[in-house]
Amino acid sequence: MKSANFARFKLAAIIIIIIVDILAAISYFKPSKSELLGHIPPDLISEAGNKYSEVYNNYFVFNIARGRDVKTARSATFIGFVGQVIPADEGVASAFSDVFLWLPALLDGAKITILLTITAVLAGLVLSIFLALGKIAKTKIISGFCSAYIFFFRGSPLLMQLFFIYYGLPQINPSLTINNKFMAAFFAFTLNTGAYCAEIIRAAIQSIDKGQFEASRVLGLTYAQTMRLVIIPQSIRRLIPPVANEFIMILKDASLVSIIALADLTHVTRSISSSANNVMVYIPAMIIYLIITAVFSAIFVRLEKRFSLYQ
Amino acid sequence: MSLIRTENIYKNFNEIQVLADVSISVEQGEVICIIGPSGAGKSTFLRSLIQLEKITSGKLYIDEELFLHRENNITQYRIESVKYKSLLLEMGMVFQSFNLFPHKTALENIMMAPINVKNMPKPQAEALGAELLAKVGLAEKADAYPARLSGGQQQRVAIARALAMEPKIMLFDEPTSALDPELVGEVLNVMRGLAESGMTMLVVTHEMGFAREAADRVLFMSDGAITEEGSPELIFSNPNNQRTRQFLNTVLGI
Ligand SMILES: Nc1ncnc2c1ncn2[C@@H]1O[C@H](COP(=O)(O)OP(=O)(O)O)[C@@H](O)[C@H]1O
Ligand SMILES: [Mg+2]
Repeated sequence: MKSANFARFKLAAIIIIIIVDILAAISYFKPSKSELLGHIPPDLISEAGNKYSEVYNNYFVFNIARGRDVKTARSATFIGFVGQVIPADEGVASAFSDVFLWLPALLDGAKITILLTITAVLAGLVLSIFLALGKIAKTKIISGFCSAYIFFFRGSPLLMQLFFIYYGLPQINPSLTINNKFMAAFFAFTLNTGAYCAEIIRAAIQSIDKGQFEASRVLGLTYAQTMRLVIIPQSIRRLIPPVANEFIMILKDASLVSIIALADLTHVTRSISSSANNVMVYIPAMIIYLIITAVFSAIFVRLEKRFSLYQ
Repeated sequence: MSLIRTENIYKNFNEIQVLADVSISVEQGEVICIIGPSGAGKSTFLRSLIQLEKITSGKLYIDEELFLHRENNITQYRIESVKYKSLLLEMGMVFQSFNLFPHKTALENIMMAPINVKNMPKPQAEALGAELLAKVGLAEKADAYPARLSGGQQQRVAIARALAMEPKIMLFDEPTSALDPELVGEVLNVMRGLAESGMTMLVVTHEMGFAREAADRVLFMSDGAITEEGSPELIFSNPNNQRTRQFLNTVLGI
């Protein structure tokens, strides 16, 4: 019994290490601040307010989109900044040769997408346990509140929820302003996925045989102990497939954040596509989405196998 | 001294009367078998004793203390909460469908309640678990998950799990009805051993052989009431009640 717990910790640790490794590998491609600034004309740096992220997004992404070396791109850059479009004169074949130039920026966007999905789903899961237990609670006020919450966040579009949090809250009260786009997206996605996961958890708990509750009660376990020791551990295996599904949905819905200009994979793809006037960038971008989806699906399948050992 | 006594227990499920005026008394060390047709209210009665169902009306005494008194679904009296919990734990229950915790091994199933309810130190609970597994003849299955055990073995673990809380009385609700015929014997043997060791038992069963040899008293229940009671000899050889006779004819195939 001790070793089973230990195996679970080990698995969790391995997954975290894999994720950290992926993120580290991705960030390896991103030039450091000094490296980047060294390549950029001084007047441009001041223009961008010397903000690393802005310089990076406006200048570096633009130039790799053009398929040019950063050092030699000065004139093209100015054209880009005043919004002119230079038609691509090369064919499709050479357009694809730009993939390696696009890749660092695309992977950088993927990092945001993955980070947003993981953090929002994890936080959403914590939130959803309370919502699920609240919804099946006997106290009418608690169950009513949780039902209403779940109904609202499942019943209205995620994009609207995101807009409301990012643009709406500051107008209600300036103290509610969330300046960081990532944080705004994180809140919106957490609140939303929390509602979906709550329904998943509620269904899993209610699918547990009534006899398990009765056996626990007859043995003298309290409600909290019954949940913690008997019901939730058994629900976990049943939770994994639908939570995996929700995770993949959120991963794809994360592309909505491109609308508030958070530099996720979709947003980076769009900026490369428009500044390079080359729609081919959508193909490697979608392949990256598929790879991420496949990797996480595989992780979830392994998790499910781990938790089904006793069945 | 009676361990459990009921006075005029009634139970309705939405207007439908399932228990009607059930009054019994269970003495220390007694083995009582409850027999009767399906739907008679036998399960509901056991579940009402251990508070898995709320009675509609009636009084329940445990250890000669008034434990609960309800009239028309309104609680008139309920013993204070610390006493309530400790008296309730004087009853252990074994279900028809075992209800073992599938994510715990046989040993862990037994250890769970002593550790979490009685705050028993883990090594002590482990020793207790091993001892009880040996008692039900499953010492070598300590680390097996329920799914790896036969129905008979699962039910024996369930009995050991209930015994781990050291109840004064054990309630059995058709403990062998979900088992393949060849597995019934091993469970009945454990129950026989338990009866011989002096455990007070209230057993709902269709195993007439067990009732005849192990019971001190047999209660016949039909339509929510106890319509006949007596020694096994009396009930099985010379029942007074027409319903009892009919029922025995059917189950014994006479
Ligand atoms: N939860 C319930 N809701 C409504 N009716 C029930 C419920 N449980 C049992 N009953 C009814 O009560 C009667 C007695 O059931 P039960 O106690 O299970 O009988 P037995 O165990 O003798 O077969 C049956 O008619 C059954 O349909
Ligand atoms: Mg029954």
